[in-house]
Amino acid sequence: MIQKYFSKHNCVRALVVLITIGFSTNDAFAAGPPKVSDLSNPLAQVLLVIIVGLLLAIGLLANVILGAAQVYLQRFKDERKKSGTTAAKALMVVMICLTSVSLFAAATPADPAATAVVETTIAGLSFTSFYVLLGVIGLELLIMIVLLINLKKLLTKESLVMAEAAIADNEPIVVRESAFIKWWDKVNSFKPIQEESTIDLGHNYDGIRELDNRLPPWWLYGFYLCIIFAGVYLYRYHVAHSAPLSAEELSISLEKAAIDKEEYLKKSANNVDENTVTYLSSPADHEAAQKIFSTICAACHLPDGGGSVGPNLTDAYWIHGGGIKDIFKTLKYGWPEKGMKSWKDDYSPVQLAQLASYVKSLQGTKPAKPKEPQGVLYEEKAPATKAADSTKTPAVTGSDKKAVAINP
Amino acid sequence: MQVEKFFYDNKSVKLFAYATILWGVVGMLAGLLISIQIYLPAANFGLPFTTFGRVRPVHTNAVIFAFVGNGIFMGVYYSLQRLCKARMFNDTLSKIHFWGWQLIIVLAAVTLLAGYTTGKEYAELEWPIDILITLIWVVFGINMFGTILKRRESHLYVAIWFFIATWITVAMLHIVNSFELPFSWIKSYSFYAGVQDALVQWWYGHNAVAFFLTTPYLGVMYYFLPKAANRPVYSYRLSIIHFWALIFLYIWAGPHHLLYTALPDWAQSLGTVFSIMLIAPSWGGMLNGLFTLRGAWDKVREDPILKFMVVAITCYGMSTFEGPMLSLKSVNAITHFTDWTIAHVHVGALGWNGFLTFGILYWIIPRIFNTQLYSKKLATTHFWIGTIGIVLYAIPMYWAGFTQALMWKQFTADGTLKFQFLETVTHIIPMYVTRSLGGLLYLSGVFVMVYNIIKTVKSGELIANEAAEAPALVKSTGHAKQYWHRWIEERPIQMLVFSLVLVAAGGIIEMVPTFLIKSNIPTIAAVKPYTPLELQGRDIYIREGCYLCHSQMVRPFRDEVARYGEYSKAGEFIYDHPFQWGSKRTGPDLARIGGKYPDSWHYNHMLEPQSMSPGSIMPSYTWLFENKIDTAITPAKIRAMQTLGVPYAKGFDQEANANLMAQANKIQAGLKVEKLDVAADAEIVALIAYLQRMGTDIKGVKSLPTTTK
Repeated sequence: MIQKYFSKHNCVRALVVLITIGFSTNDAFAAGPPKVSDLSNPLAQVLLVIIVGLLLAIGLLANVILGAAQVYLQRFKDERKKSGTTAAKALMVVMICLTSVSLFAAATPADPAATAVVETTIAGLSFTSFYVLLGVIGLELLIMIVLLINLKKLLTKESLVMAEAAIADNEPIVVRESAFIKWWDKVNSFKPIQEESTIDLGHNYDGIRELDNRLPPWWLYGFYLCIIFAGVYLYRYHVAHSAPLSAEELSISLEKAAIDKEEYLKKSANNVDENTVTYLSSPADHEAAQKIFSTICAACHLPDGGGSVGPNLTDAYWIHGGGIKDIFKTLKYGWPEKGMKSWKDDYSPVQLAQLASYVKSLQGTKPAKPKEPQGVLYEEKAPATKAADSTKTPAVTGSDKKAVAINP
Repeated sequence: MQVEKFFYDNKSVKLFAYATILWGVVGMLAGLLISIQIYLPAANFGLPFTTFGRVRPVHTNAVIFAFVGNGIFMGVYYSLQRLCKARMFNDTLSKIHFWGWQLIIVLAAVTLLAGYTTGKEYAELEWPIDILITLIWVVFGINMFGTILKRRESHLYVAIWFFIATWITVAMLHIVNSFELPFSWIKSYSFYAGVQDALVQWWYGHNAVAFFLTTPYLGVMYYFLPKAANRPVYSYRLSIIHFWALIFLYIWAGPHHLLYTALPDWAQSLGTVFSIMLIAPSWGGMLNGLFTLRGAWDKVREDPILKFMVVAITCYGMSTFEGPMLSLKSVNAITHFTDWTIAHVHVGALGWNGFLTFGILYWIIPRIFNTQLYSKKLATTHFWIGTIGIVLYAIPMYWAGFTQALMWKQFTADGTLKFQFLETVTHIIPMYVTRSLGGLLYLSGVFVMVYNIIKTVKSGELIANEAAEAPALVKSTGHAKQYWHRWIEERPIQMLVFSLVLVAAGGIIEMVPTFLIKSNIPTIAAVKPYTPLELQGRDIYIREGCYLCHSQMVRPFRDEVARYGEYSKAGEFIYDHPFQWGSKRTGPDLARIGGKYPDSWHYNHMLEPQSMSPGSIMPSYTWLFENKIDTAITPAKIRAMQTLGVPYAKGFDQEANANLMAQANKIQAGLKVEKLDVAADAEIVALIAYLQRMGTDIKGVKSLPTTTK
């Protein structure tokens, strides 16, 4: 009876905790769209899950102990009739059980604390919340340790009694199962195999018999818990709107990323854009850029920049301008309608600057199979150093249009 | 009480057993081939019918419907007769069932390799085969129910509950998902489009796993495990609860395959919570299996059959726990589209289905041949090789999936993507190689079994008709103090109807609102039907199985928006019959590929992928440059689309080909400028047109409608 009471009690408690979680979020967000609360803090969620899990474990442990104690109590009653020798021991066990029960009872007030924490709506997980949650976990662990110690004691006592009884009755000592097996049997509420016939339903299907074992309690409570989870989940996402749906999640992460990036760029030398970029001439820069060039750019412009799908990068003719700033801009934003992808999400500003400088440095080199020039002759505003190599007579007119024609 | 004499039909059992083994080997060989193609593009052999996109559906279909399918029938034909104390209802029906199913498999293999596919995963077969499947499934149903109705056992054992639920649910899934409009003797378009098609497809796909790979195998487990272990079933009431809970809850979970997609959020959430609620009912089967072995674990040490079964049930437990975890959005955000999914399904397929099948084969074959298993030692060897194979398969794939997902999501401090897509692929190639090794080991185990079984068969002789006797069925009188559930166990028809009501509920509640309520799929005015050329290109895309490696669904994640572009909206897919969202990204997403590269890039890339992206593992598609677009069928395609509600102008079917050629000529001229010569009516032109169209409709649209929350 006590056992039953406890398992139910425990279950009800888990339920209360979960429901209060659900409703507290409702209170917190009744005012409007999702705000950040302790509950949406992943850390808090993890801690709460641990708390609930430990509570379940405590319930199960208490169950096992109470079961063992009941067996013991029965034996104690029987033994008392025969002699008083084991009475003292049995009494002690009962005492232990009682203390464990009282300890268990002491744990109960911890739950309101947990829910109370949930109800505070301080942005982020405040220190108080964190330590209270941690404290609850600690307390639960402590209770579990005490329970385990009790269980161990109880089991040793029991085997002691069994051994004594065996000696008294002059029977051979049966091989005893390990504490784990006993715990396992209890957790699953197994019926001892010897008593199997009492739960045989008498069905016979081609020789297959069926037993009517109880549902493993942890399985059943697990099932209940999953159903409660389902309710809370739907409530949070679709009634209370206290958790972000897919699109909201995206805007949250984009906002955060934008802030992070800004913070980073403020402090970083990486803060180059198309207005500030300058030609980088160091070999290290060119080497870094060449790596990228050969993996990415070479597909369309060939490894030597001679051009195939994309235009020739070695001549002086440019569709979108040949200055370092123009090239940087082309790399950064792309010309999607002409097949040039934007690379700003793939490479950092510095990498793009390196790449732009490398492309610029290709000018005047002699590729193996140069593509015919496209675009217009570009001349640096500053006195050109290696521009117009006017031996070529390019058909400039219309080549721009050709490029456009690729993509209707 | 009069004892009746009758004979069990073992011949059908034998045939199904042989077919199971044969198709198992074929399916796994196909699997091994495609696993190698992933890191060795040359293994595609440059031929259309040996290329990954066509062999992969052969692998999945062969393993699911041929290997496991025949395994189901083998288990059902053996156990049902004995559980009903009756011969199979009709020998001719048994024959039609067996040969009909094998015909379906052969037709499936041929058509899939020839490129006839509906483009919906695990439902790839075209409409004539779909009809044939329905007919044969009905034959199976009549044969099964006939046997049940003439049984000599008053009550139905739990195995039969599972068989009944399987039969009715698979029938429902197959029929609803195969709604398609034929436009030629072999080709058709899905009746549904876009979001709706996706919902129906994954309702089907998920429950094909549930009711083809799970419930029938739970049924056979309930027969063969207690038999092999000679132990009573652990808990009758657990059977009852987990059976009804399982079939009811399973059907709802389909949308968990579509988390973070354009499917309305409420449907996604239903998928998640029903998956979580499924943990316990799924585990009910595992517990009832494993706990049945209480008191028989010493036998497990000795008996390879029990070893197979224990690992099978454990794998079942692992994958049914993992599944719900993958349905949690935060986990799904990492695992989906990666090899994690591949690992997950193979733990189920190799472990649960494969190992249970092997265990049953080792158990059945000696019995129907009235002999002993040729070698217990070889069976044990098979067990160990297979187990190592599974481990070697699964671990690298989990690792690969996790690694790749994290690489996809990484940004540098200055807010740029850290890795190019291709880098994330080449990074995990060693894992792909290890996976092939695991698969090879597993397959060698199967060959050991084949040898063992041939030897066993040779040492005995088939008892084609096994004599049995049982008292005739007496109508039970009254139900004094009976378990409440015993009532329905006496009434197979009521059980069938009640199962149907339960499994239909989830599908109806999820689908009807998605179909009828407009706010679930807000229309976008800029989204227009495909041009005839693009439509032809899309059909080539489907034919070559591009969807097996490329998704068309940009999820609302920062990394995907940066890598691919604006996330996909429900309204963009309203003319997609069928949808092509995909389930795996071996290559990058293509939802916004349109306009990203010039036509010439696509041309070169399809001809030789490595020329445009060095290190790419994509096969080349040389035949697209020679094949001509089948323009004769264009009008029929347009008319079919019109019937399905795509708003082409009246009479457009007659102008379609002119329109097609005009667009093709334009693309051809553009390529010519780049010195690429190709006929205007070559298939590659149509494919380029489709690729360049993809995802471009909403470019420049300022305010996009959002789906209902």
